Parts: sequence; C-alpha cells; structure tokens
Amino acid sequence: MNRLYDMEPRVMDDEMLKLAVGQQGPREEAGQLAKQEGIPFKDVLSLQLDFQNILRIDNLWQFESLRKLQLDNNIIEKIEGLENLTHLVWLDLSFNNIEAIEGLDTLVNLEDLSLFNNRISKIDSLDALGKLQVLSLGNNHIGNMMNIIYLRRFKALRTLSLSGNPVAENEDYKMFICAYLPDLVYLDFRRLDDHMKELAEMKHQYSIDELKHRENLMQAQLEDEQARREELEEHKAAFVEQLNGTFLFDSMYAEDMEGSKLSNLPGVGELLETYPSGRPPPRQPTPQAVHPPRQLQPSLTASFTYKDKFVIICLNIFEYGLKQQEKRKAELETFMECVQEAIQENQEQGKLKIAKFEEKHLLSLNAIREESELSNIETKIVEHSEDITALLNVLMTLEMQLVEQLEETINMFERNIIDLVGLFVENVQSLYPFLEDPLGRHSCLARPWLNSGCTMAQCRDLENHHHEKLLEIAINILEKMVKGEMDEDLPDDLRSLFIDKDTIVNAVGASHDIHLLKIDNREDELVTRVNSWCTHLLDKIHKDEIMRNRKRVKEINQYIDHVQSELDSLEYGDLLD
Amino acid sequence: MEVLKEKVEEEEAAEREEAAERAERGEKTKKPTEVRREETTLTQEMLRDLERKLSEIEVSVPEKLLTFTKDTIDTSKLPLSYQSNTLKEEHLLQVADNFSCQYSHLCPDRVPLFLHPLNECEVPKFVSTTIRPTLMPYPELYNWDTCAQFVSDFLSMVPLPDPLKPPLYLYSSTTVLKYQKGNCFDFSTLLCSMLIGAGYDAYCVNGYGSQDLCLMDLTREVCPLTLKPKETVKEEEKAPPKKYAIKPPRDLTSRFEQQQEVKRQEAIKAEEENRRKQEEARLLEQENAKTDPLHGLRVHSWVLVLSGKREVPESFFIDPFTAHSYSTQDDHFLGIESLWNHKNYWVNMQDCWNCCKELVFDLGDPARWEYLLLGTDKPFLSLTEEEDEGMNDDDDVEKLGKEDEDKSLDMPPSWVEQIEISPEAFETRCPNGKKVIQYKRAKLEKWAPYLNNNGLVCRLTTYEDLECTKTLEVKEWYQNREDMLELKHINKITGLNVDYFKPGHPQALRMHSYKSMQPEMDRVMEFYETARVDGLIKREETPKTMTEYYQGRPDFLSYRHVNFGPRMKKLALNSAESNPRPMVKITERFFRNPAKPADEDVAERVFLIAEERIQLRYHCRSDHITANKREFLRRMEVDSKGNKIIMTSDMCISFEVEPMEHTKKLLYQYEAMMKLKNEEKLSRHQAWESELEVLEILKLREEEEEAHTLTISIYDTKRNEKSKEYREAMERVLHEEHLRQVEAQLDYLAPFLAQLPPGEKLTRWQAVRLKDECLNDFKQRLIDKANLIQARFEKETQELQKKQQWYQENQVTLTPEDEDLYLSYCSQAMFRIRILEQRLSRHKELAPLKYLALEEKLYKDPRLVELLKVFV
Repeated sequence: MNRLYDMEPRVMDDEMLKLAVGQQGPREEAGQLAKQEGIPFKDVLSLQLDFQNILRIDNLWQFESLRKLQLDNNIIEKIEGLENLTHLVWLDLSFNNIEAIEGLDTLVNLEDLSLFNNRISKIDSLDALGKLQVLSLGNNHIGNMMNIIYLRRFKALRTLSLSGNPVAENEDYKMFICAYLPDLVYLDFRRLDDHMKELAEMKHQYSIDELKHRENLMQAQLEDEQARREELEEHKAAFVEQLNGTFLFDSMYAEDMEGSKLSNLPGVGELLETYPSGRPPPRQPTPQAVHPPRQLQPSLTASFTYKDKFVIICLNIFEYGLKQQEKRKAELETFMECVQEAIQENQEQGKLKIAKFEEKHLLSLNAIREESELSNIETKIVEHSEDITALLNVLMTLEMQLVEQLEETINMFERNIIDLVGLFVENVQSLYPFLEDPLGRHSCLARPWLNSGCTMAQCRDLENHHHEKLLEIAINILEKMVKGEMDEDLPDDLRSLFIDKDTIVNAVGASHDIHLLKIDNREDELVTRVNSWCTHLLDKIHKDEIMRNRKRVKEINQYIDHVQSELDSLEYGDLLD
Repeated sequence: MEVLKEKVEEEEAAEREEAAERAERGEKTKKPTEVRREETTLTQEMLRDLERKLSEIEVSVPEKLLTFTKDTIDTSKLPLSYQSNTLKEEHLLQVADNFSCQYSHLCPDRVPLFLHPLNECEVPKFVSTTIRPTLMPYPELYNWDTCAQFVSDFLSMVPLPDPLKPPLYLYSSTTVLKYQKGNCFDFSTLLCSMLIGAGYDAYCVNGYGSQDLCLMDLTREVCPLTLKPKETVKEEEKAPPKKYAIKPPRDLTSRFEQQQEVKRQEAIKAEEENRRKQEEARLLEQENAKTDPLHGLRVHSWVLVLSGKREVPESFFIDPFTAHSYSTQDDHFLGIESLWNHKNYWVNMQDCWNCCKELVFDLGDPARWEYLLLGTDKPFLSLTEEEDEGMNDDDDVEKLGKEDEDKSLDMPPSWVEQIEISPEAFETRCPNGKKVIQYKRAKLEKWAPYLNNNGLVCRLTTYEDLECTKTLEVKEWYQNREDMLELKHINKITGLNVDYFKPGHPQALRMHSYKSMQPEMDRVMEFYETARVDGLIKREETPKTMTEYYQGRPDFLSYRHVNFGPRMKKLALNSAESNPRPMVKITERFFRNPAKPADEDVAERVFLIAEERIQLRYHCRSDHITANKREFLRRMEVDSKGNKIIMTSDMCISFEVEPMEHTKKLLYQYEAMMKLKNEEKLSRHQAWESELEVLEILKLREEEEEAHTLTISIYDTKRNEKSKEYREAMERVLHEEHLRQVEAQLDYLAPFLAQLPPGEKLTRWQAVRLKDECLNDFKQRLIDKANLIQARFEKETQELQKKQQWYQENQVTLTPEDEDLYLSYCSQAMFRIRILEQRLSRHKELAPLKYLALEEKLYKDPRLVELLKVFV
C-alpha cells in the first residue's frame, strides 16, 4: 500500500489534464482535427488518470459532462472535488488511501463505484446514489456486519464485493448478505444461486421480518408526512391554511395572558367551553381531520359556545377558500389550454407555409443553378427574393395576428381572475354579504341554526360579543367581590386583577385587543398573499407572451436571413462563373 | 331392330304415362277422376301422338319434380308415423275438414285452404304437424340469418308444379334434407322448424309473391357482396368553444360573392343530379319492362318472424330461397292466405289489396286472424280476451262446448322424425357442395370448403352490362390455404390483381397488389407489421422507385424512399450475381425519438449518392416553426500542397434555429459525417436487401400458387390423414388386446356344459352335478399333476442312485474325464431333484387353495349361482 510513497506526489494541474485528454481523445484524422481545434474540458466524456501518483483530486470542475472517471492506483486520501461532475456514471477510486466515504452527495447518476483496496472502515454517505448498481469495497477495513444493512436502501444494487474485509472472515458472511440483500446477483464476483438465497432467507427470517416491518413503518411515516405536507401546501395555495381547526382560536389565546386568566372566572369557562383550563375540550375538532359543521346536532344550537362558533366560522372560510381555489385553478387551466391551442394552431399554419415555401425554394434554386442565360438568372433571382419577402410577410402577419388574439384573451383572463380574487377577498372580509356565492348561500340554508356566514367580520363580531359578555361577567364578579358576596375562591393571580374596575376593564380590553389583532393579522395575511399571487401570475403571463413573441420574431428573421443568404451565395457563385 | 325400338319406346311411353298419371292424379284429387284407362286400347299412332304430347307436358313441368317423387323415395323405410295417422291426427284432420268447409261456406270467393297436403307416403298430414321444432347442434345455426342462409344454401330450389296453387304434397323435412331439393313450402317448413327450435316466434306463411320471389330470380337484385358498406359520416362533435378560445381573425372576403358562388355551384349540382335521376329512371324502366302476367297470383311460401322472442325488435319476413329478410311492408309480398306454426293455424281475414303493407300481425285478434284451434299459449291480447268474456254472455254455452272440444284437441306432436344434419352435410352445405346465384350484373358461385383443391370457396364476378357478357372484376375467396390467401381481387379492366392474406403468411404478407409477377414493376405489398422483425408495413414499387413504410422500430425509421437509376451495362458477364440497379437517392424519414431533444433528432435524411451529398432535416421543436438543417458535401479534396483535406467548414452547411456552440466544431461535424457515411452504407444495404426480399416473395408466391396446398386442422379428424392413421392404429391395437383378453378368460364350465343338451335351462340337479363334475375333474388334475411330479422325482432319484452305484463299482478304472463327467452329472441331477422336490411341496401347498378357489368361482358363476344358492 505504501508502494508509491517513495515517489513524489503529483498535482492535478492543467497540464496533466490536457495531456490526458489529448492522449485519450480521438485518433487519426479526427485526432488531427481535435488538435487543430483543441478539446474543451467540458465536452470530455471519459477520463483516465491512473498511476499518476495523485494525492489530491483537484481541478476537475470543468469536466461537466464527464461520464467515466478513473483515478485508480494513486495515493488519494480524501474524496473531494467531484461536486461538479453530476453526470458521472462510473467512478473508479480503487487502490488509493481513502479512509472515509464522503463527497459523493452530488453524483446522483452514479451507477458503478469502485473503492477497492482502500482504508474504509464504514459504509455510509452514499445516500444520494439512488442508481447505484455496482459497488466494489473489497480489501478495506470494514468490520461491522451492520454496515450491510445500510446497503438495503439501494434498490438497483446488483453487484457487491466485500472480500478482503474483516467482515468477510465471518462464517455467516455470505448468508447474511444473501438474506439482507435479496436482490443482489453477484457477490465477490460470483453469482449467488437461488438455493443459497433460500437458505439464507430461512436462516435470517425473523430478524429480516422485523427489519422489514420497521422499514415499512418508517416508509409509512414518511409517506404520511409527505401527504400532510402536500395537503398543507395545497391549503397554502388556497390561502386558507390552518383555518380548518382551532389553530386561529388557539393562537388568539396563546399570547393572551389576561385572557387565559380570565377564562378561569366562573361563567367564562362555559362561555369559552372551559378553555384553556387544561382539561380536554369535549367537542374540539381535531386539527387534521376536520369535523364538518353539519355533523353537529342542531339541537345543540343553544349551547354553542364561543369557541364552537368561532371554529365553525373558520371552517366555513376554509371550505370556501378551497372552493375558490378550485375555481381559480380551473380558470387558469382553461386559459392555458386555450392559449396553447391557439399557439399550436398558429404554429401549424406557419409550418405549413414554410414547408410549401421550402419546396418551391429548392425548385427555384435548382432552376437558377441550371439556367445559363444571365438575364433569365437575374429575373429568377428577383422573383425568388420576392417570394422570400412574401413569406416573411405572411409569417409576420400570422405572428402579429396571434399576438393580437392572445392579448385580447389575456386581458379577458386578467379581468376574470382579478374579479375572482376580489370576490374571494371581499367575501372573506365580508365587506358585502353573500350574494353571488353559491357556497355561502348554501351554507346559510343548510345550517339555519348558524345564522353566520364565513367571514372574518363575523369572527370579529363574535369576538366583540364575547368581549361584552366577558366584561359583563367580570364587572358582575367585581361587584360581587366589592360587596363581599363572592364565596368562590379565585386564584391569586386572577384575584389581583379584581383590584378595581379599571384594572379589570383594562385586562379584559387588552385580551380583546390581542384577539382582534390576531384576527386582523390573519385576514391581512390572506389578502396580501392572494393579491400578490394574482399580480405574480399576471406578470408571468404577460412576460411569457412577450418572450414568446420575441423568440418567434427572431426565429422568423433568422430563417428568412438564412434563405436569403442561400440565394445570395448562389448569386455570388453564379457571378463568379 | 325397328320392332325392338318400338318396343322400347312403348315401354318408355308407358313409364312416362304412369309418371304423368301420378302427377295428374296428385294434381286433381278433388276433381272427379278422369278416366284414362282407355288409352291402353288406343292405336300405335295415337299412342305415339300421346307420347309426344306427354313428352311436351313433361317439358313444361320440370323434370326434377318428377324425379323427386315417390319413385326416388323409398317409402318403405320410413317410420310408421310417416305411413299412417294416429287417432289424434285423424281427429285433427276431421276438425280441419270441418273448418275448411265452414270457411269455404263463409268465404266462397276465396281459394281453398292449404291444410293437409299429402306426405311422401300419400298420407294426408296437417301442415302444423309437419313442422318439427329442432334446435341444431351447430352454434352457427342459432341465429335466424345464418339459419336462413343455411337452408337456402343446403336445398336446391324446385318451382311449384303449378305456380298458381299450393302443392299437393308437402314432404317431411327429413326427406327434403335427404334429397336436398324442395319447393318454397319445403324450404319454409324446414326453416320454420329450425327457427322455432332456436326460440324464434316463427310462422310458415302461405301467400302470394312476386315473380322474382317465386322463381328465386335474383337477376334484378343487386348482389349484397358488391354493395359497399355505407360510410357512416361521423359528425365530429365540435367541442363548445372554450371560455378563452381566441377569436378568429376578421374575415375580409365579400360575403355576397361567396353567396353567388355557392348558388352557382348548387345550380350545377342540381342539374347533374337531375340528369342522373333521369338516367336512373330510364334504366329502371328498362329493367322493369317485362311485367308478369301472373302478378299477384303466384303462390309462394315464406317465413314470418314475429317480434318479441329472441329480442327481435320488429316483425319481418324471411324469404327461404334467398335467405334475405324483408320488412313486412315489402313490395315482393303480395298477400297472405294463411299462416301456421307447430301449434296452430291462422287464416288471414284482412284485405290484401295493398300487398302486405297494411296487415296487422296480431294473431290474437280473431277479427283479423281466424284460428283453427283455440290455442293454449298463443299471445292473445289480454284486452280482447277480457272483452270476449265480458261481452257475450249468451255465447257462453256455445263457447264452452267449443272450448271443450278444442281443449281435447291441442295439436298432436309432429309426425316428422328428428331433423338431423350430419357434420359433413353441414360443411358441404350446398348440394354437391356447389351453388351458383345470378344477381343483377353479378354472378356468385359458392363451393364447400376442400371441394376445390385450391381452396376456392366463393367467386363473385361482376359485369358491366345486364346481359353479363363483359366482365368487370372477379373476386375469389379462399379458405384453408396454407399460404393464408383469403381473397383475390382481379380487376379485368385495369388488369390489377390484389391478393389479401390472413395473418400467418411466412413473409407476413397482408396484401399484394400487382399487375404482373415480374420484379421491378408497379406493385404494392402490405405486411402485418407486428409479425415482422423490421416493422415494415407497406412497400410500394414502381419501375424507378421503391418506397417502404415502417412502424415501431427501435431506430424510429418510418419511411424509406429509394430512387433507382438506369441499370448499368455490365462489361463482363463473368459474375453470376444479379446486376442490381444503382441507387441514386435514398430518402429516410424518422419518427420523433422522445429520448433526444428535438433539434438533435433527425426527421429526414437524404443521401444523394450520385452527388455525394447528405442532407439532414431535424425535427421541429414544439415551440418553433422552423427546423434545423444540415448538409454535408462528401467530396474529399486535396489542398495545394497535396495533403488531404480532412474537413473544412464549407463541407458542412447548417442552419440552426438556435445556434449551438458545439456543432460549430469541425470535430463534431467530422464525426457526424463519418457516422452518416456508415449509415449510408447501411441504408444502401438495407435497400438492396429489400429488393432481394421482393424477389424472394415473388418466387414464394409463385410456388404457393403452383402448389396451393390446403391446411387441415388437427381437430378435423376426417381429413387429417396422419391423425386418422394414428387413430386406426390405436383402434387396431385395442382390438387385438381385446382378443387376447377374451382368449385368456377360458370358460372352465364349457366342456361340461357341452355334454348337456344345448339351449335348455339347467335344473338344480344338473347344476349340482355339473359343479361336482367340474370340481372332481379339477381334483383329478391336481392329483395327476402331483403324481407326475412325484414320478419324475422318483425317476431322477433312481437314476442318480444307479449312477452312484455304477460309480462306486467302477471308481478305480475311471479316467479323470469320466469322473468329471460323473461329478457334473451328479450336481445337475441333485439340482433337478431339489427343484422337483420344491415343486412338489409347493404343489401340495397350493393345490387345496386352488381347489377352494375354483369352488368359490363355481358358486359365483352366473350360470350356476341361482341353482346352487341353496347349498351355500
């Protein structure tokens, strides 16, 4: 292993790389051409740098499209400097002095990795290599069997070599690998037969089952989380995230010290549905699985507490938001579809025109080439350049027509989407009562006991109402206390609020203010976000259209130039003749 | 000689006379019999005269009918039900006669009813009992159309003896099937039997038809095979314009001008239409020129299928001759006298002044349809029934009596034997497996499969004119061909032949259209592309070009067009290889390869071989309207210093929609060109191989046409020689095996039974004696056997003793050889003795067992078991 220590380590400099690229590049005639032009590093697909006494991997950042890299038989001690080689499929680092696997996190396309004859003692940091098929880790220092379980995550892994490791001396080594890596085909350059696999599976069945169970659980958990995240994402896109539960209500009380104290007052708890006294509220909708309000019994109408009402309003807003989101999405989809169709149709027309022209073009070029009389040539050339101009005009007309059509459509869409967003915002803010919204009307009709819609204003009303009641209770208690009729024991911190009327009114008022602020904040957030989404969308549509137009005009001009130049070169050639 | 001839003639005359008489008699049973016996006393001249007349008569009545009479039918072998009537049938006939009398009394101006014609045994049988509902075992015969087609194919048509009257004879369907001949009544009876068996609500109809219908004259019909299936014009439903659909650009053309133009076009069209119509009318007139003097009087029989059963939505007629179905309003059907099924008989009481167009087929309505029997399960309209019940109370008594009578008289079961069609007959279909139908401007010939040794089953010849002299085209259908040829279409005018193949041709051929089998001519070949490795769909050839269409290839090639130049004259004819034409230009087109970006995916490449140029056109990117183009000039040039120029920038002219960096490099261009050079070679090779393939296919086709072998299914046990041989061999083996087994089972009682008088029943005493004898005999045998073994044993021992004695006496003088001999003898003798000993002991052991076994067997013997039971 220290065979190369006596030699001077070399640096991977430009010279070395150039030399290697030149030597491994094209041969013979192509080689001459390559020499003439030089080969840019970023076009090189395969590079071989073995027996170069390299100590440190460096200067490889230019080889962006490299597929195969051989760095075997050097004295490399650390895997580094490979971050840019994202297209790498084959990496050979065998016969080096590497001690840990690292620095491979960007090589997602890697299929074949060889780390044979190094000093690695642990298999890890390979998580990114999802396509790994061949892994060679022979002659290393891997001693722990558990390293093999790590390899279970590589679903495409078919070939593994681990011989020459301390692990391989274990008598159960082969069985263990067979059992834990059932998809493996070759181990240590030998094919694994089915019989062996069966035996191994039998032997390690229990532990594998357990492992599988754990893996499944993990997988399920991951999926669950993913689903939850997606759902939240969806809600966010509808701008009504976390309105499908008590989140807003909870947040109202989260920073409200006085409020939580006051809730301990007799009578307030009932008002608040004994919240937040620490006992689990009996009819609390779970935050994820939303109880649709219609599941609540109408007979309970009378006993609806402040919290219940509040949550129901939130839920209504949430549902409404989702519906509106659907609407906006559908609107956007139809718009995009129509625009795509229009563009496609226009392109087809353009293509047709060009194809027709091309035929004619070829014919007339040939005709000019074969024509011998100068005057005829000239007339033909003139005719042809007229044709070219005509084509240009036709294509440009088509494009301008499309631009006009699209502009009109985009404007229409703009108007509609702004209307939609406006409606949504208004309904949520409840500047107007529900008139044109079917959902709102529906909810009012379907739940008559709930003479409330789903607006922030109603939240506010509810809060005001609650505030008044709270105030009333507080003042009553104060009066009682003043009269000394208060027989119940109040907690000390609460009692400290009932010193005089101002204090208690202030406390209740502060709590109220905080609540209102929370509601306002949520509302503001919703409105600003939906508006910004709208403006962004429209901006993008306009920009895209402008980009498309520019590109098309450029394309047409380029094509016309090309055709014209063909004609010109012909002219020139003819004149020379 | 003269006398002899006369005699022969006389005999012939007598024969004919008889035949005619029979026909005559058949015809006029109701009329007072005409005395013809006198004729025997007539002079020779008169006789000859008569003979001439009779022969004339014979000509007028088709001979077929005469041959198809009792003479040819062996009535003696027919079952009893054919030859006589049961009591119930007699009763029914009486009822029918009564009904007929009443009918003729009530409707004196109507023709007598067709109620009980004679069958082949001269026995009157009621028509309903002639219908024998039968469900055929062939799944093809489950639906009415195939059923009718079968009947029309299977029987050959014989016109009615008198076209104005129903026949006097109505044979059973079995007889009709046997002789494969019949008139319209036979046809419809058979078809009706099959349809009712298959569950249809079908009726035989006795009525009047047009001449074409009665004489099965299809020459005015257009052959259904020549009709092109009407292309259903699918109105593509235009999706409602979407909300954001762009508005079309403003139309700036003059609307007035358009209108004028449309008007003008319409006028022209109308004129053309007019002319065409006139032409048609003229033609029609021409065709219908000869009208039938007997129109409306010709008797015909067909089948009516009523709606309701078997999901028949609407009632319709089936003409059994042609198997065509007609609506009940059709012009061909001019009137209905009566109709019947296997249960009842109805007389039409409706007026047929307007053909059958206004008939109502509600058989439950007694005002329209007079029934013969008060049917039990006829679909009476419940409404009328109720009305009847409620309305006339005074009729009740009468009705009751009638009902009683009728109830006792439901339709007797059919006298006809089970209708059976053998699989061979079913396959052969037409009489002698051949049938010819003449249509308007077309002739259709049908053959049974395997009848023609080239597999021809159907030929349709279309003519240009009505007289069928100028052939337009011939279509020939084949079956069971080894080369999978299905249809051959020959257009006589253009000389174009088109062959269609079923899947399975060795070269996956689907269609081959050609004018001549010579190579390098105009031809089109289509292939089953999934069966071919190269995915070829179609190859078109003209003398100068070859075009191939591909699909589903891994290299996405979709089209290759090769232009050939004139063949170069070979300087020396030394090589035996063919001289392929030089290729001038190869054009190849490719489908879009989704793995590559569009502007690197070649859409079309043209190898201009003569000019050494290669043109490439790339696919168009989805957001572009122009595509990349590249042209390589392959000319190798030498620069001023004599060095070869490998690549210069003017050897590759390219147009790129979005200019790319790396394609500017000479190296890239050089590599691309080298690759293309290789590919050009490959393409040329492939084109050359295609040419070879064409030759090969043509050769193969010629061979196939020559050989025209037919395939035989392995399930076809009759035709499959191999399996037949195998089966026969198996049968032989089985038979032999059986024989051996019979031999093995020897009858142990036989010698004792033989002593007794044959044919008599055994008495108990005899049986006991028989048993005892048998057992005694067996015991004796066993004892004999034991004695025999014992005797041999003793003999051996004696001999051995003798030998031993001899040895002891002569021991001294013996030579070593003799001694050896003696010793070997001794050992052999000892062996034999031992064996005999063993056999003896074994015999002693087994003998009682054997004896007991025989006794047991005898007790169980079927011949003795009854008599010996007591003793057991």
